[in-house]
Amino acid sequence: MLRVENLHLAYGRVTALRGVSLAVEPGAMVSIIGPNGAGKTSLLGAIAGDVAAQSGRILFDGAELRGLPSDAIVRRGIALVPEGRHIFASLTVRENLTLGATIRADRAAARADIDRFLSIFPILRERAGQPAGRLSGGEQQQLAIARALLARPRLLMLDEPSLGLAPKIIDQVYDYLAEVRREGVAVLVVEQNAGRALAASDSIHVLNGGTVRLSGSGAEVMQHAGFDSAYFGVAL
Amino acid sequence: MQIIADAIALGGLYALTALGIGLIFGVMRLINFAHGDLIAASGYSLLIAAGRPVLAAVVLALLAAVVLALGTERLAFRPLRRADPASLLIASFAVSVFLEKLLIVFVDSRPKGVDFLPGLAAPVELFGVRLQQLQVVTIAVSAALLAGMTWLLRFTRIGLEMRAAAENFRMARLLGVRANRVIAAAFALSGVLAAAVTVLFVAQTGVVAPRMGLTLVVIAFVSTVIGGLGSLPGAALGGMLVGSTSMLLQAFLPDELRPFREAFVFLAVIVVLLFRPQGLLAARGLRERV
Amino acid sequence: MMRAARRWLPLALLLLVVLAVAALAAVSPEVVRRRMVLALVDLVAVVGLYVFAGNSGVLPFGHAGFMAIGAYTSGLLTIPAPMKAMFLPALWPWLQQTQWPAWAGPPAGGVVAALAALIVGPPLMGLSGISASIATFALLVIVYTVVGNWSDVTGGQQSLMGLPLSTSLAPALVWACVALVVAYAYQESRSALALRASREDEAAARATGVHVRRERLVAFVLSALLSGIAGALLGHLAGTLRADSFYIDLTFLIVAMLVIGGMRSLTGAVLGTLSIALVTELLRLAEAGVPVAGTLLRAPAGLGDALLALAMLLVLLFRPSGLSGGRELGG
Ligand SMILES: Nc1ncnc2c1ncn2[C@@H]1O[C@H](COP(=O)(O)OP(=O)(O)O)[C@@H](O)[C@H]1O
Ligand SMILES: [Mg+2]
Repeated sequence: MLRVENLHLAYGRVTALRGVSLAVEPGAMVSIIGPNGAGKTSLLGAIAGDVAAQSGRILFDGAELRGLPSDAIVRRGIALVPEGRHIFASLTVRENLTLGATIRADRAAARADIDRFLSIFPILRERAGQPAGRLSGGEQQQLAIARALLARPRLLMLDEPSLGLAPKIIDQVYDYLAEVRREGVAVLVVEQNAGRALAASDSIHVLNGGTVRLSGSGAEVMQHAGFDSAYFGVAL
Repeated sequence: MQIIADAIALGGLYALTALGIGLIFGVMRLINFAHGDLIAASGYSLLIAAGRPVLAAVVLALLAAVVLALGTERLAFRPLRRADPASLLIASFAVSVFLEKLLIVFVDSRPKGVDFLPGLAAPVELFGVRLQQLQVVTIAVSAALLAGMTWLLRFTRIGLEMRAAAENFRMARLLGVRANRVIAAAFALSGVLAAAVTVLFVAQTGVVAPRMGLTLVVIAFVSTVIGGLGSLPGAALGGMLVGSTSMLLQAFLPDELRPFREAFVFLAVIVVLLFRPQGLLAARGLRERV
Repeated sequence: MMRAARRWLPLALLLLVVLAVAALAAVSPEVVRRRMVLALVDLVAVVGLYVFAGNSGVLPFGHAGFMAIGAYTSGLLTIPAPMKAMFLPALWPWLQQTQWPAWAGPPAGGVVAALAALIVGPPLMGLSGISASIATFALLVIVYTVVGNWSDVTGGQQSLMGLPLSTSLAPALVWACVALVVAYAYQESRSALALRASREDEAAARATGVHVRRERLVAFVLSALLSGIAGALLGHLAGTLRADSFYIDLTFLIVAMLVIGGMRSLTGAVLGTLSIALVTELLRLAEAGVPVAGTLLRAPAGLGDALLALAMLLVLLFRPSGLSGGRELGG
């Protein structure tokens, strides 16, 4: 469904991605792990159209996405929950959710979906009329995921969803992601540490220095003799 | 009482202008100097429409401001959208000078008298107070427009998108908010506000000049800073505050200091920038630290 | 030796350019010469703006205010005492009686403008980006309001008349050269180097021990000094002063010159000033009318300024680093 081929991205003189390739199949869960500065955020940003990659291909259902603006890419069916969540702090929880459904023409169904998410996440329902900035970190993460899903994406991308959350909350988030997968949505998740992502994923890529150093199933990657050097970027 | 009415009427005008500038700043971090030229352009439309029915004149003024606002967006500001705020500021300065000089090419720089709505100069009695009709109209129209804008921003789809874009443009786009549409809508609205200000202002002063918008915009500009750049309620509040303060200064300052009242207002701006750079009502998620 | 020569080469080349302009002016008819003198005065103003904008990366909108301060200072010091008594009867007696030689006006104007910058600068230098531009703009409005209304001292809304017409070619040339030397020497200094580091990344520069506010203040004061001198020269070119001449239009002109030339190099300041002066002059001729086949073809008034604004927009759109591209001549 999603194929990234030989993607290169630089911010001026700083190179963030040097030839990254990967694929995500429908309904699959793929994780990318790598240390700070590995290029994880840049990769998701490039796929979502938030930052421009200089070369390579990003194919979604065979169509090239590179060069499309982010508002067009979400219409193709890819939603991003960015690092730091970026909920609209001054808008209410319900308004945040409504914005998640911006691209949908089926207004009535979208409103029903919003209500459905409010019942899935009771805390959001309690605070539906309050500014989202007052939510705790875990609640904001729930809001950000619900908001992204309201676009009805076929691929959901999450950038470090467990950052700053308590272990119990992280479990909740991943349990929910498993449910999302059961509904047929593919998930591409980025984390600094394998943690919960490991067990949940069909495949894992270790990213470092802007390239994929190691790929495989969770167990394969973690037990691979080269894992430490791949992750920590020591010469291979 | 007279002074209070004066203060509110002037504050209303400033608030409308500030809101027009604040809207654009909110969605694209652009301080639109050219807003003053929207006012001038619709002022000259009133001149052209002199003698026609009032409604026709108002519609023409509205059209002129909205079309010009959309035109500047499309031709100048859209291509510069990725530029930094400083370049945008210079660009809007250039657009403003360009429009002003172009106007001078066509109509020359001398102010011209317009007899627009002269009937409104008559006094009325309201709650036992003698007020000018025009003041009452100004206050009513400002209040109605502020209420209308609030409704639009709060309860419509495009309003919600605008508020989201003002808080975090990139995130809004990631959710599918179309940048071009939201920005164009903001420019169109700023055109509407400019036209409203023009109608009230021209009815009050009876003259149009290529630079008629300058003072208003300079002051509105300040109001948005005081109210909090990027915050729309802040802009309106700042406008009210600056308008009424300068009226009160005008009324109560000793004679020899009165001409300097603008200097005090601008001193207040610097003080706000230094001690409360986020303004009185801080905007959320403003990317640049102002 | 070679390295030192290379280091100062851009300055030498720019000085040569200015000398060439002056030489051309010397052999031109009176009217044209006056315009070229004006261009040299503008150059002092633009270089003044550049000293701050180019090194700090912050574009200030208040320098026309410093020019006003310089111009009025110089005017008040050099206008013949009897004229002052006539036009400004309420002026403080000591100032009314003062009458300095005309040549002393510009440096005095520069010093007073620099002092003003030194007083208002410290709090302002903590601001960056757009808020710095706004604050300096507020400064401009304050100066404009004060100058335009302080009738006892500035004549208020009336023009202040009687400034000695001392800005001829020679002083304009000398001051233009001084401005270039000062700006270049400053830009090669340690202080300016540190400031330019902060321009790219303020936090990083601060982390490496650069005292951003202090370095900015140095540039600001120096920049106000040159602006004050330029304002005074302008006053002594026109002979009269009005608050309006030091407001939005002048601000736009000097900002446009710098932006079009490229605000990241001294060459940009020179290139912008001279090319705009040239284009403006040609347009002025067009506005005055060109006789074609017996009739006078005339461009409408205001067209020149409109085109100037358009040129500035086009530069912002297509060549954001200005004509010079941010490089120095020969550098
Ligand atoms: N906006 C930016 N400008 C310049 N460099 C950036 C920017 N964003 C990221 N980088 C650099 O690109 C590299 C990859 O960053 P990023 O994609 O954020 O990595 P990660 O998300 O894995 O921590 C880093 O070296 C980072 O410093
Ligand atoms: Mg990251």
